[in-house]
Amino acid sequence: MKEIVDAATAGALGLFGGAATAEFQRRLAAKSLCSTRCTRCRAIAFPPREFCPDCHGREVEWVELPRRATLYAFTQQQRGLRFLAPEVVGLVEVEGVGHFLSRIDAPFESLSIGQTLEVGFAEAAPGVWVHSYRPV
Amino acid sequence: MTRAAVAGVAAIPVRRKLERSVRDTAAGVAFAAVADAGLDLGEIDGLFASPPALGGIPSFMWSCTLAHHLGLSTRTQTLVECGGLTAAVAFKLAVQEVRSGRLRAALVLATDVRADERADDFEFFIRNMTEQLVGLYGPHDALYGLAAPIPYYAMSAQRYLHEHGLSRADLAPVAVALRDFARDNPRAELRKPITEADVLAAAPICPPLGLLDCSAFASGAAAAVIVSDDLASRRPRVVVRGMGEAHEPAHFAPLRAPLSRFESPRRAAAEAYQEAGIAAHDVDVAEVYGVFTATELMLYESLGFFDEGRAPAAVRDGLTRGEGATVFDPSGGRLSLGHPAGATPLYSLVEIVEQLRGACGPRQVKDAKLGLFHAEHGMLNGSFVGVLEAA
Repeated sequence: MKEIVDAATAGALGLFGGAATAEFQRRLAAKSLCSTRCTRCRAIAFPPREFCPDCHGREVEWVELPRRATLYAFTQQQRGLRFLAPEVVGLVEVEGVGHFLSRIDAPFESLSIGQTLEVGFAEAAPGVWVHSYRPV
Repeated sequence: MTRAAVAGVAAIPVRRKLERSVRDTAAGVAFAAVADAGLDLGEIDGLFASPPALGGIPSFMWSCTLAHHLGLSTRTQTLVECGGLTAAVAFKLAVQEVRSGRLRAALVLATDVRADERADDFEFFIRNMTEQLVGLYGPHDALYGLAAPIPYYAMSAQRYLHEHGLSRADLAPVAVALRDFARDNPRAELRKPITEADVLAAAPICPPLGLLDCSAFASGAAAAVIVSDDLASRRPRVVVRGMGEAHEPAHFAPLRAPLSRFESPRRAAAEAYQEAGIAAHDVDVAEVYGVFTATELMLYESLGFFDEGRAPAAVRDGLTRGEGATVFDPSGGRLSLGHPAGATPLYSLVEIVEQLRGACGPRQVKDAKLGLFHAEHGMLNGSFVGVLEAA
């Protein structure tokens, strides 16, 4: 099954991803979590874009995000598509960015809202990387 | 401006699978709604259709196929898709064209098929679903292995409980209340009575949500005929008094906005209330798009019926089922009537129209004159609110 999911993911990323997604992936593979910041309004977008979704400026620059985050919300899936079940996901709050979806590398029962996390990285499919936060 | 009325409605019972093909099912509700309006299909001059299903089934040129199949000669024909808002947007476009005077009798037709036999082919299912999920959640969120969007709604529920000092037990009464209503609705998928203990003991899905906190995947079909009100022969006439629609720049989890209250239903309701010249407490009966217990409760608040964090107490006190100004989801709602998403807004419309006609038997809301229906997409990042009145 993993082979089918991986092949379908690669095909779908070609359709639905893009240049900013590819660059984000390249940086994640190098163990660096980055996104784009608008050179006009200074807002950091997440996920990254080639433009600013806040002020619609057309010039952005890549910035590395803080490694620390706080846990905003979390849950687990009894049946997941990619990782071992039960699979813990959460929304992590990164200062100056907002809260966004991530894999959480800790048992569900050990987690609580507001706890401090640090970013890590996992390979979801060959060459396809995700961020994966763990408590510090 | 011409007044628009909902002259005819029809819906099949919500079930896991359709009994007939989606094409035969669609034709069946089309004929039934037109007959309910006292019209003939030949008098329909506009067709506003949903895709045959919201996911997994080809929809290319579906409205053209339907028009050919039904023998419809129209002045407008369109296929609408906007997630859970799909059938509500189709309704809105039909009302606007009738109000403008361009159309006289528009057919809104919506179906959904969420039990696809072809999914029994495991390889087909996995490949197809993986591609769809990347399209649905985008190239970032999709990589975290979400299947259904339940984790988003679960985390929204968790924030709601956290911010208001509530617990999972505070979600259970609304599931029971909706099931009680569904017992009296033959269209409902889930009618067996449940208790709060059943809700709390149900299998975990995504904490804090268990099985009975969630709407089940279901299939269904519904249709409505929108006419200029001089063509509405039934009494009382059910006229469209107000509509509102709003979308936030987010899809499922917003980057910065809270997850415990929602802007899109607030904005859509404000527009609809203003057009109708009413306030929330004037509404006698409402059908809202609460696909999870917590979402249902947050919607009561975001639509302006209760203060933030107060909906669970209101449900416990019976204020949502006859002891207050407004009765919520007498159909059984998404949790017990069932949730064929592509057609869900029309099921809500059908219930409101039948309530305003006084035709709902044991679940009839007494003296219902003003009704509201709400629909949403992408965890409340888009909403539609319609206000209807018996006139």
